Amino acid sequence: MMISKKRLSQQMRGLLLKELLEVWRDRRALLITLGFTLLFPALMIGSGALSLKVMSETTFNVAIVGAEYAPILEEKLQGGDLKVERLQDGVPQALLASKYDVVLQIEKNFAEDYRSLLSPKVYLYVDSADQSGGRGAQLVQQHLAQLQQLVVQQRLAARGLATQVLAPWQLEVRDVSTPSSRGLAMWGLMVPVLLIMALLVCSAAPSIDTSAGERERMTIEVLLQQPFSGWQLIVAKVVAVTSIGWFGALLSLAVLTVSFSLLPLAEIGVRFTAGISELFTISLILLPLALLIAVLQILLSLRSRSFKDAQIQLSILQALPVTLLVALKLSNIELDSPLWQLTPLIGQQQWLSALMAGESVSALLAVAGSLVTLSLVGLCILVGARALRSESLLGAT
Amino acid sequence: MIRVEGVNKQFSGNSVLHNLEFSVPDGQITALLGANGAGKTTCLRIIAGLLKADSGNVSVGNLDPFKNPKGVRRQLGIVGDREGLYERLTVAEYLSFFASAHGLAGAELERALKLVRNELELSNLWNRRTKGFSQGERMKVSLARALVHSPRHLVLDEPTRGLDVLAARLLRKTLMRLREGGTAILFSSHIMAEVLELSDKVLVMAEGAIVGSGTPDELMRQTGCENLEDSFVNLAYGNVAERSKHGELA
Repeated sequence: MMISKKRLSQQMRGLLLKELLEVWRDRRALLITLGFTLLFPALMIGSGALSLKVMSETTFNVAIVGAEYAPILEEKLQGGDLKVERLQDGVPQALLASKYDVVLQIEKNFAEDYRSLLSPKVYLYVDSADQSGGRGAQLVQQHLAQLQQLVVQQRLAARGLATQVLAPWQLEVRDVSTPSSRGLAMWGLMVPVLLIMALLVCSAAPSIDTSAGERERMTIEVLLQQPFSGWQLIVAKVVAVTSIGWFGALLSLAVLTVSFSLLPLAEIGVRFTAGISELFTISLILLPLALLIAVLQILLSLRSRSFKDAQIQLSILQALPVTLLVALKLSNIELDSPLWQLTPLIGQQQWLSALMAGESVSALLAVAGSLVTLSLVGLCILVGARALRSESLLGAT
Repeated sequence: MIRVEGVNKQFSGNSVLHNLEFSVPDGQITALLGANGAGKTTCLRIIAGLLKADSGNVSVGNLDPFKNPKGVRRQLGIVGDREGLYERLTVAEYLSFFASAHGLAGAELERALKLVRNELELSNLWNRRTKGFSQGERMKVSLARALVHSPRHLVLDEPTRGLDVLAARLLRKTLMRLREGGTAILFSSHIMAEVLELSDKVLVMAEGAIVGSGTPDELMRQTGCENLEDSFVNLAYGNVAERSKHGELA
């Protein structure tokens, strides 16, 4: 019994070393891993930074054409976040295309109509496709609404009416969100999806290489001629593929963490609260999922007829989890019930979201969910071991 | 001893092996001659337990490859129709892996590696990755893989393909040494001079069956031919022509 155990461990050590060397010396797999993990988060953070820049922009350029017909409006808009400039004339569209975010046009007969209570028209030109234009227009509207309210009050008072007539109630909006919860809303789906994508993308090339690739190069036959059990071969392949997939996801996480610390999140009241312990927990949570993704990709590649066929099948598989997560998010299904949390992929997405926002995760549910995922991995290993016994694997049928 | 008794095998209704029967005794070199598509690879795969015979019995050292595949594979060294090299591994890593697959470790593993390195003169290739190796170099590494665990039974599919004269001589010397040590060796070849020099017994295979068996001299006597090549052609292709004539291959 002792000799047999010793032989098994020597066999497994050798087999693991062989699979790890094969995977980590595969230049294509490494290029994809580094490319995805470095470029994709950079792209995401870059676009995020651009949005933040727009959101945190405080000054908007407002052009008033015909300001001399309504000096009170110009006076009211001056100061604060608006930089107002008086123009004699100009085409609003051309002005918006130049340096102005918003153009206000006042007509010649404004004063006359105003005095006659004829509600003179004021035109607010804005390019809604431009984010700063939209925010600038909102501010101008707010300022003008305040002025309008004041004028109405004065007119009512002049006629002996109480100003409350126009305001049966007062609505005051109070934002109860916290910097963390705003963070959760911002990257609750985005970051877990990115990490899951990293697992899928980084482990795809080595999965194909170690299964369909071995089959195409006919090395699988030599491997099957050795005194290994099917489960030993699959386990070694899964461990090797997982190592690169998990590494890719951890690298993505590191790049994201560093990038978040460089973003001016505080300016928009968002906080990135994941600390060392949260990042460590995230890494552990990703491991069973990395194993599941690796074994599924290997199984799928193993039953493919060629390297190319495996690539097509895996590209379809890669789109499924992300589509599922986005669909669930859009469907507004409550995913925090224990049943969902025990479901592989969905559970992990929920825990990752919470941890990224610095919220706590039920240790019991996380452990139970991870065990469910690992059980599925075990089942897939048995299926894979059985698949290795198939005569069609040798192209013999 | 490798024993194949009444083995039949079909793929999708097409019969590949018909009542195949032969044995490869210990301490002997048995040559398997057959045209392409004669069923040699299928036969080899059944011996290794990779394919299951539809009927009949196979034993390698008294073990059934399908019932005890691991036991059989521990006793077998195989070089198939492809070299099966891992191009990202060096020769040393490649052979260490296969030696460890057979449970070798530590000093025992080092001894086994040293033996094949010297025997097949692999020192200049030892720390090179196998990508870009010539056909002869690939074959030498593949042979080393089959020998590294000192198997009791050796099955070689055209082991001298791609080897230069010196390497082929080296291989023949190795096979002779293994025969002296009691190893049962089954090899296929298309080079008649090699078969004549090495083999104690020749099996001629055609259309999935053994159509001739015996020493080279016995085969020549049996067919009335003056050389082994003519005997082989007579037995292998004559048999096909005969069966065609009777409409069996229609």
